[in-house]
Amino acid sequence: MGILLQIGIFFGICLVGEMIAAVLPLPIPASIISMILMFILLCTKVLHPKHIEQKSNFLLENMAFFFIPAGVGIVEYYDSIKGVILPLLVVCVITTVLTFGAAALTVRAAIRVQKRAVAHKDCTQKKEGIQ
Amino acid sequence: MSSVISSPLFGVFLCVVTFAAGVWINRKVKSPVANPLLIAIALTVILLKVFHIPLESFQKGGDIVSLFLAPATVALALSVYKQVAILKKYFLPIVLGCLAGAITSMVSAFLLCKAFSLDEKLTASMLPKSVTTPIALEISEQLGGVASITVAAVIFTGILGAVLAPLLIRVFRVADPVEQGVAIGACSHAIGTSKAVEIGEIQGAMSGISLSVSGILTVLLSLFLQ
Repeated sequence: MGILLQIGIFFGICLVGEMIAAVLPLPIPASIISMILMFILLCTKVLHPKHIEQKSNFLLENMAFFFIPAGVGIVEYYDSIKGVILPLLVVCVITTVLTFGAAALTVRAAIRVQKRAVAHKDCTQKKEGIQ
Repeated sequence: MSSVISSPLFGVFLCVVTFAAGVWINRKVKSPVANPLLIAIALTVILLKVFHIPLESFQKGGDIVSLFLAPATVALALSVYKQVAILKKYFLPIVLGCLAGAITSMVSAFLLCKAFSLDEKLTASMLPKSVTTPIALEISEQLGGVASITVAAVIFTGILGAVLAPLLIRVFRVADPVEQGVAIGACSHAIGTSKAVEIGEIQGAMSGISLSVSGILTVLLSLFLQ
């Protein structure tokens, strides 16, 4: 499908996402709503992956690039954090490490429990089969 | 000269050039600290300072680049769709991981701010720092935080997550791509996700889910804070 049409699909979905975000009572950002919207459109086969593949790949491959202006924008806030910059940086570093660890270890533990539960179920099912 | 600088093309061009330099340096140095995004930001800031170019002129083009952030987040839906089997299989572990991440982030930010005896305003600004900017801003505002500090903390945390992700994967011995993706998304939202996408397809998809679920969970958790 033409790249222009793909761009149209993306911006169209983002626009609808913004409309939904405006009426939603919770502060869920438009981009996340648009992402869920796109996911639903794919799951319900309204859109086929090939309809958006090219544009998707372009956006994902260059995702870091799109964050440059946001990062440069921090300079603007330098004056308001100048006095407390060191503790704030330390807080950011430590919480990032802890959050990463907590999320990773929780997923690991939960997968282990889930596998054990499934294995246990299979085992009892087999036993029942034998009896 | 000033007409060149005030054109939106200038900002877009500067982003492309500095990012290309970042990618080039990253290939030469081969260290995760030489993150292309980090290099591009640093180079841009330095160039603007050296040539006394006002930030507003740069952001005319910068806004155009930022415009693609929402479509890029939407593009994650295709990655998630391709990994939907994994999502179904590990749905509960993924959600639990995001919940653990969201709670750890807020509680540790709160305790550390107290430890550094930062005032309530700063603490409120730092609490939602691990989630994507629009969510973080809303929560910070509700808790009486300062918007500019929240934005700076969120962006810095994201860049930090993108830079540290390969290192953290080794430190915590995270071999499983699902674990990797969820952890990156939970601690460093969309900026971290841009790194997860580079690490692998499953990691990118899981990070995309994680940034959404963690964000939504943080909104819900913050309702209890008031």
